[in-house]
Amino acid sequence: MISFEQVTKRYGQRLALDSLSWRMDEGECVVFLGHSGAGKTTLLRLITHEIQPTSGTVTVGTFRGGRLSRPQRALLRRTLGIIYEDFRLLGDRTVFENVALAVRITGRFEESDVIPRVLYALDEVGLKSMQTAYPSELSAGEKQRAAIARAIVNRPAVLLADEPTGALERRSADEVLALLRRIHGEGAALLMVTTRQEVADAMNGRVLRIEEGRRPDGEGLAPEATSAPAFDAAQAPPPALDVAPAPALDAAPADSALDAAPAPVPAADSAPAPEAS
Amino acid sequence: MRTFFFREAWRSFKQHRGLGITAIFSLSAALSLCGLFLLLTHNADTALLWIGDRREMVIYLKDDVSDARRDAVIESLRRLYGDVTYVSKDQAWKEFVEQVGDPGLLDAVEQNPLPASLRVKLRPELLNYPSMEEAAQQVRQFPEVEDVRYGAEWVRRLDELGASLRRGTLAVGALVAIAIVFVIYNTIRLTVLARRPQVEIMSRLGATDRFIATPFVIEAVLEAAIAAALALGVLFGFRHAVAAQVVGVVFLPPAWGLAFMGGAIALAWIAAVFAISRVLRSVGP
Repeated sequence: MISFEQVTKRYGQRLALDSLSWRMDEGECVVFLGHSGAGKTTLLRLITHEIQPTSGTVTVGTFRGGRLSRPQRALLRRTLGIIYEDFRLLGDRTVFENVALAVRITGRFEESDVIPRVLYALDEVGLKSMQTAYPSELSAGEKQRAAIARAIVNRPAVLLADEPTGALERRSADEVLALLRRIHGEGAALLMVTTRQEVADAMNGRVLRIEEGRRPDGEGLAPEATSAPAFDAAQAPPPALDVAPAPALDAAPADSALDAAPAPVPAADSAPAPEAS
Repeated sequence: MRTFFFREAWRSFKQHRGLGITAIFSLSAALSLCGLFLLLTHNADTALLWIGDRREMVIYLKDDVSDARRDAVIESLRRLYGDVTYVSKDQAWKEFVEQVGDPGLLDAVEQNPLPASLRVKLRPELLNYPSMEEAAQQVRQFPEVEDVRYGAEWVRRLDELGASLRRGTLAVGALVAIAIVFVIYNTIRLTVLARRPQVEIMSRLGATDRFIATPFVIEAVLEAAIAAALALGVLFGFRHAVAAQVVGVVFLPPAWGLAFMGGAIALAWIAAVFAISRVLRSVGP
């Protein structure tokens, strides 16, 4: 699903990643643990093609290495769900509109399809009752839950979480981690980067340490890791998901991977959807 | 999805209404200037066409031309240049007397000195100085013809005036086109840069350039359309004010008005696409 093969990234003279190799499979939970400046965020930015490696190959699904065109890069990002430490919600839109934006960006749904998808995602993160609130009216934990709803609303095959509890106090952090564990338990692969050991432990996933852009313990450098073929959706085991299946991360011919998850119909007692304005 | 883009455009306009309103007024001013020249040209063209319709070539015949020869000449002229009206010596004298007004002044004239003439109303394609001059040269070669008059200098000046007006409109139009592109380009650039964090978030979520750009392009097109409508309103008011002083001033025909608006919108669209494609590349990967 995601693999790094001898990936090095330099920012000028500074070495951010040094011949890093690792891979994660569909449905897996991987946590990169390292101190600030260890190269964790660089790793995520390489996956989302915000930056290019100085050398080595980054493979995400069928997007293997090289510089992607702008449309391809957009397509890649639409197959990922990304959660940031600082939430990155749009302050001039309600929670509903923030989540709906991610659905509209796919360009594949009628307005009538957007509402149930968004309400379902908000229900999953427990924010359905706050759909009309603006980010400025939310607590930090609620903002992060809104960001998680936005990340999962299109049923991505993999969630990327960049220090998702970094800006949260303990109780909110626990809630967010519990939510992420549940989403992962429903079948989505989860890649998290964090500086905190307790966060890594709480995820019950494979923890990979990273220091100065390197893997100190050599974990993940097994030969099969560097020569593994791109993920084949057809041969993958079905995800254990009882709500909506996580789509395969498959680029061709379009973002059809996202089609794997039909919009669930909201419960009958759903609150009326707000009119986006 | 279309309504979503329009809502986004409206949201953007509301958030940066100062920028948008400034752009609309700047564009209105530039478009009013262009429209003013368009209005002048249209009125000048209308006037020239009216004057041009009255242009004619007068061919004076020799006194000894027989009726048969005269009819042959009329037939040739009709075939080559346009409608021909024959004015006999007597008719010419009668018209002259009417113009003088006091027959007593002409008592000393014993014999009608005026020649018979042919008045040719030239075809539209011949109503310009080079064609009229060439036609006159050709007609002078006819043995039956004494002289040809068509007011060469007057026709030449009229043509030059029309051409100058058209050149002026083109020049002002080009300048205004550049101004429109400049204003829209900078307005959209500033708007996008002001919303840079939002654009970045959309990009991170996988929005295509087209998805991000469409609301901004709609905003630019709407601003240009409003500005063009305002400019047409200003011109209409101007025409109304001038019409009270000068008789015969006409407003732009509907087709010209639509072309004026369409041109402004097209330029705004081009400028917005150009601006946003450049800004998106600078906003980040």
